[in-house]
Amino acid sequence: MKELNELILPEDVKFTDEHEWARVEGDHVRVGISDYAQDQLGDVVFVELPEVGSSFNKGDEFGTVESVKTVSEIYMPVSGEVVAINEELADHPEYVNTDPYGKGWMIEVAPSDLSEMDSLLDKNAYLKLLEEE
Amino acid sequence: MKHGRLGTPNWRAEPPGPPKPSKGEKWVTHRLTCPRKPTNRTLDEAVRILVLEGLQPYVPILHLQHRLVSARHAGTLSTDLILLLQHEPVFTLGHNGGRENLNVSENILRKKGIQVVQTKRGGNITYHGPGQVIAYPIIDLRARRLRVTEYVWMLEEAMIQTAAAHGVNARRNPRNHGIWVGEKKLGSVGIAVRHGITYHGLALNVTLSLEPFSWITPCGLTGVAMTSLREAGAGDVSPREVMETLSRCLKEFFGTPMAHTHGEATGRHLQSTRQV
Repeated sequence: MKELNELILPEDVKFTDEHEWARVEGDHVRVGISDYAQDQLGDVVFVELPEVGSSFNKGDEFGTVESVKTVSEIYMPVSGEVVAINEELADHPEYVNTDPYGKGWMIEVAPSDLSEMDSLLDKNAYLKLLEEE
Repeated sequence: MKHGRLGTPNWRAEPPGPPKPSKGEKWVTHRLTCPRKPTNRTLDEAVRILVLEGLQPYVPILHLQHRLVSARHAGTLSTDLILLLQHEPVFTLGHNGGRENLNVSENILRKKGIQVVQTKRGGNITYHGPGQVIAYPIIDLRARRLRVTEYVWMLEEAMIQTAAAHGVNARRNPRNHGIWVGEKKLGSVGIAVRHGITYHGLALNVTLSLEPFSWITPCGLTGVAMTSLREAGAGDVSPREVMETLSRCLKEFFGTPMAHTHGEATGRHLQSTRQV
């Protein structure tokens, strides 16, 4: 288990209190789960993602991550339409563990209201949440 | 029967053992044995155990779990809860499928009155029925600062200790999670997590008829034979007795927040349980 000071928490993403991250990339928002989340889950063996074109509200369940006989739900950091999913996770679910903010990204969203990003946690606020949790 | 912690084989998917304190923390040493008789310690604060009598239908209990998870998330249910029960005969499919591992037609099962239910728990196909003890813990992993791997380890350990209390030496197996007697599977785990709160749980075979397992490829693993406590040498043991033992083991793990949470979190947890 990682100590809090061992966690990778990039400056260029924002976090949810459900441990997803969201990064603005041009007009879109890229989404995955945080280093803390992957460390809590253990070895990821399967990632279930939505179909491209599906729309969700902020906070909706958009998929699941399976690790050690456990299926955990994952939730939308912002509202919008899914415009891309990380197809590579089908063959390499372990990317979620090894590179959660890079090769382990999950979906790309065309946000319906980009200002929802403002309500997410920055690195320091997220770290504070983790200290309290 | 030796009750100490069993040696854990070293393979990649093996959970990292019991929860460990972070640097600079001190935890109460956790006792891993399960007394056969209730002790005077009051461990009920952090978890409530609810025994459902009779044979329970699968789907209504699944819906009950969903409602309990929602209530735990909303805070209207302020303590963790564990349901102990036996199911009517049912095949359940796990998150990563399992219908392909059903080796009889669903028509035949329908004639026998056995349902096949798709679920969102981890794992593959399995069978539940009379003589199998089920535990469905509704546990707030975040409040307890428990990792998924630690939680699964604890469910397996509770089953290992329960089996030991009835004279059966079960252990983990590198092939798969759950607990095993030799190369035969005695107990299974399959979990789902919603907003950090667990549902589904564990299934321990006591006097269960093992025949329905021959109609499936359990867990999607070929060549896996199942066993029960009775078959593995526990003798004339009833599901109800095993429920009592398992209940005590689960209380050992989940009824003592000091052992699994620390400082502030424990204080907060105790505070919230006192509000009941």
